[in-house]
Amino acid sequence: MSDKKQQVSRRQFLNYSLTGLGGFMAAGMLVPMLRFAVDPVLQKSASDGGLASVISVDDITDTPQRVDWNVDQVDGWYESEVNRTAWVFKDDNGDIQAFSPVCKHLGCFVSWEGSDKYQNEFFCPCHDGRYNKDGTNIPGTPPLAPLDVYEQEVKDGMLYLGEAKPRE
Amino acid sequence: MIQKLYDWIDDRIDVTPIWRDIADHEVPEHVNPAYHFSAFVYCFGGLTFFVVVIQVLSGMFLTMYYVPDIENAWKSVYYLQSQVAHGQIVRGMHHWGASVTIVMLLLHTMRVFFQGAYKKPRELNWMVGVLIFFVMLGLGFTGYLLPWDNKAYFATQVGLEMAEQVPFIGVYLKTLLSGHPTIVGAQTLTRFFAIHVFFLPAALFGLLAVHFILIRRQGIAGPL
Amino acid sequence: MKKGKGMRFVGDSRINADKTSQVPKDYSEYPGRTEAFWPNFLLKEWLVGSVFLVGFLCATIASPAPLQGLADPSDAGYIPLPDWYFLFLYQLLKYPFASGDFIILGMIVLPGLAFGALFLAPFLDNGPGRRPPQRPIAVGMMLLALISAIWLTYEAAGPVDFKQIAEDNPPVLQADIEIDTEHPGYEAYESSCLSCHGDSLDGGAAGPSLIGIEHTEEEIADIAVNGTGDMPPGMFEGSDEELADLADFILTVNEEAE
Repeated sequence: MSDKKQQVSRRQFLNYSLTGLGGFMAAGMLVPMLRFAVDPVLQKSASDGGLASVISVDDITDTPQRVDWNVDQVDGWYESEVNRTAWVFKDDNGDIQAFSPVCKHLGCFVSWEGSDKYQNEFFCPCHDGRYNKDGTNIPGTPPLAPLDVYEQEVKDGMLYLGEAKPRE
Repeated sequence: MIQKLYDWIDDRIDVTPIWRDIADHEVPEHVNPAYHFSAFVYCFGGLTFFVVVIQVLSGMFLTMYYVPDIENAWKSVYYLQSQVAHGQIVRGMHHWGASVTIVMLLLHTMRVFFQGAYKKPRELNWMVGVLIFFVMLGLGFTGYLLPWDNKAYFATQVGLEMAEQVPFIGVYLKTLLSGHPTIVGAQTLTRFFAIHVFFLPAALFGLLAVHFILIRRQGIAGPL
Repeated sequence: MKKGKGMRFVGDSRINADKTSQVPKDYSEYPGRTEAFWPNFLLKEWLVGSVFLVGFLCATIASPAPLQGLADPSDAGYIPLPDWYFLFLYQLLKYPFASGDFIILGMIVLPGLAFGALFLAPFLDNGPGRRPPQRPIAVGMMLLALISAIWLTYEAAGPVDFKQIAEDNPPVLQADIEIDTEHPGYEAYESSCLSCHGDSLDGGAAGPSLIGIEHTEEEIADIAVNGTGDMPPGMFEGSDEELADLADFILTVNEEAE
């Protein structure tokens, strides 16, 4: 009886050692590889591509106007120029506003007065999403959040825009 | 908890016999290095398989960054080994692993040969083994081009010119491999990538399965 | 576990309701010190595997995988070499009896015979004896093949300066390099060096890339005047001041490239 008991514990010991060794080998192989694979997740977002000069402040009016500019984008080993667009205008206080044209519903392109039916509003043609002039979404339309706002800076009479950030 | 989960599954699909079939076989004394140190020569086959596992895993992870395109292949390799954490190690494992595989495979083949272990009834397994050797050389040859650096490019050109020397079908063989009769370029790289990553590994897995099944069927060759 | 009559199943399935034992079979009645593969022998195998893995990882970390410069098909100065396990074949084709008119012999017949014989070894060496002394022909042929493969590999690799090749082909992103043609040393570079080392210092038909070199300013000046390796002396002829500017120019481009 005692002999049998001992045999079982020896077998268990062997199984535990086997699991441990197997785990060690798997870890030795996989740890560098997994760290390699998850690297993009752990990268600090290097999104700060700096600000780009887009338009002279004097040209900005009360009516939102579309501004296009290019930024250099580094995507891993691939470097390219990508196009950015903003709706820029002066609000009632005379402050400059620069909104991202990307709809907060499903990412379509939002236009100022994009529909004849809705004057003085941003309009998204995909699902009839609507935003007020200050970029807030109109309740009862598909978008769930106000339009993103570009980081901005005025220097030497020019408007500089950076990344689009969601509002707080 | 784990035991209960196992029992639940086992009740339904009876998995125990499947893994017991792999686990339960005897290892004779003459191949056990714990009893005869010289039996370490029997480790070469297992270690070859181990390196192959390393190769498969590291290769899978490398394709997360690598692109088989002459514009970007080199840049992506450069990026993954200089910018990505542990990229140098993962590429190193795949690069040196290739050489280690060939070395271990050679040692294993020599062990089997000099012990005459391929004699009746194990002829078929020897032939499968030699085919595995050829597949491995093919993997080495096609994998060499993929980083698209000078060494890769010119070595592949030499290899393709060798293929061209084959009588009658040489020219066609070269075009089949390189995708173009004269240029070693974009079409060569994608072909080599496909062969390296899909065709040869598929052949390798099939041959390895046969190799292992035959070993279990016939048992290991007796002592000399 | 019962077979045939008395077998019990789970529900209406074909799954056997009687459990298979999970205790390894008892091999104590087998000859010698036979042991179970799982878990006894596998544990020893994995111990060897762990030691092997640690050694492999250490070696991998100690020597990073080499990467040379981006493939440049116009680089006529590059001496192509296959990977080491193809070197013996590469060397074989250099010999007169295996090249030119006899290329079929070197390319097809010899390797075909060798690998064909390897593939068919069990049928060529079909005697009953397994010990090497009982089959001298097979063992002798294999030893001969091994020795010639090793010797051919050595002959092919011996004269090659792998370190030099790696130094001549450093991995550099060419797009990052901008050549400052306003630099005082550029004129000297243009007249003395450009024809061989290329207009962006990335090497050309006769000279290697000058980017990624690890020389001091004095060493560069010395090489420009006295040559090195395949480079003949006297390539640069000018004043000492021009020489200093030239060396400074090459170093500046290198610093930018990093």
